[in-house]
Amino acid sequence: MGKPMNKFEFLKPAQALFLLYVLWEATAWVFPAWPSPRAVFGVLADNFTQSTFRAALAGSAWRMVVGYSLVILVGISGGLLLGRIPLIDRIIGSFAVAVHAIPGAAWVPLAIIWFGMTERAVIFTILLGACGIVMVSTDTGIREVPPLVARAARTLGARGTNYFWFVVVPAAIPKIVDGLRLAWAFGWRALMAGELLTSVSGLGQLLSQVAKAGQLDQLLAIMLLIAGIGIAVDSLIFKRLEHAVRVRWGLV
Amino acid sequence: MRVELKHVFKSFSHNSSTLEVLEDINLTVEEGEFVCLLGPSGCGKSTIIHLIAGLERPTSGNILVAGRPVDGPDPSRTVVFQEAALFPWLSVLGNVEFGLRMAGIPPIKRRARALEYIRLVHLSKFIHAYPHQLSGGMKQRAAIARALALQPAILLLDEPFAALDAQTRSVLQNELMEIWELARPTILFVTHNVREATGLADRVYVISSRPGQIRDVQTIQVPRPRHAEDAALLTHQRKILELLGEEVEKVLQDELGERVHFPEAQHAVPPGHAHGMHL
Repeated sequence: MGKPMNKFEFLKPAQALFLLYVLWEATAWVFPAWPSPRAVFGVLADNFTQSTFRAALAGSAWRMVVGYSLVILVGISGGLLLGRIPLIDRIIGSFAVAVHAIPGAAWVPLAIIWFGMTERAVIFTILLGACGIVMVSTDTGIREVPPLVARAARTLGARGTNYFWFVVVPAAIPKIVDGLRLAWAFGWRALMAGELLTSVSGLGQLLSQVAKAGQLDQLLAIMLLIAGIGIAVDSLIFKRLEHAVRVRWGLV
Repeated sequence: MRVELKHVFKSFSHNSSTLEVLEDINLTVEEGEFVCLLGPSGCGKSTIIHLIAGLERPTSGNILVAGRPVDGPDPSRTVVFQEAALFPWLSVLGNVEFGLRMAGIPPIKRRARALEYIRLVHLSKFIHAYPHQLSGGMKQRAAIARALALQPAILLLDEPFAALDAQTRSVLQNELMEIWELARPTILFVTHNVREATGLADRVYVISSRPGQIRDVQTIQVPRPRHAEDAALLTHQRKILELLGEEVEKVLQDELGERVHFPEAQHAVPPGHAHGMHL
């Protein structure tokens, strides 16, 4: 990627974070109603000693695990069906694209009508908020087998089902992984929206609680945590996975 | 198995225009014979390989293998492509085993057979390496092992060494020669390099471009191992170059400066010959 030269390149990420911290501290000093970073981190650290908070965190994590597993299952198998069976593509291909175009939060009202204010409604929101992108990227991936690979496979006797499972699907893996990475981000947003609106105990619901109680320091602490988890999972798991796959598939 | 092309025409239609790629190609490769197709870039040599492999169908004419018309790809006719075309998600072992797995050969047997061919191309130290970890020459070795593991009656090579440096190319040429003398598959080898063609083949078909037509067949009766400075080889090379004079001029411009090396004669290329050997 031809990134333009940035004259602030000398600023290392850690230094930039520190600068941000100082700015925050300064604004808190100017506006007393605005909690200082120390106060926010203090509240956040204290939260972890509270069992209700830990339960909320565990609840969110659990729903994300279940929801995301369903996303993987439904997204990949749906995408494979779309790419493999033209009839299914004709019938629900545009439907999958439409699902992909609806933001996760927009599924919450329907989820509540169908499942009530329950955990299942939240999981449904994650599923619908994130499986569209996996379907679309899987579908794209299996349609884009590099011609040379396809030719080599055919001369080596691969055809039919064997060709599909041993050539088409592995050739699509980089695209599928791209989709899974995006789906994590979409799913995480959908989880928060779902919890906020259904008041199922979790980080999202804590957010609405502390907002109603006017606890600005708590609000910021929880938002920081949500951002932190989102970034951590993306960079510790998905970025690495994506990189490893791109290297092996010879794409970098 | 004997390969026979009878009055083969091939054209590709793109939008409303038609491109004639091959015109009235007649050629035979006898069982166990090593034949080179020599011609400038874009003369349709690769298309001939694809037709025999069953990856494409002729517009008209017949392609016969062991007397039977070709109907799609078959593991008895395997291909080594210029870009190796290994499966990036499989290790060297996985790649070489691929065709055997498709053929339904049980795991233990296919592993043993794959290892045997990996040894034959001197990649035993790299069985667990992935294609992205291999050099160009190693990739081609793996591709050759993969094609040979199916024990094909016909081995089709589509400019397999064109992208390699001269040293690696010369080593692989010699190894291919050894392998051919060992198993004696019928080999059809496509190249645009005059020295390579005359150095390797029993017969060389010279093909002109746009549309591809057979201009000449040269039977090379020089015994192997061949020496690059062999007078008979040089005579063949001169004849071919004269034949394709204009074509050479055309292609020389884009592909100047490459040549085949024979191990005995790495520095023995006379100055005037250095470039002219390359179509």
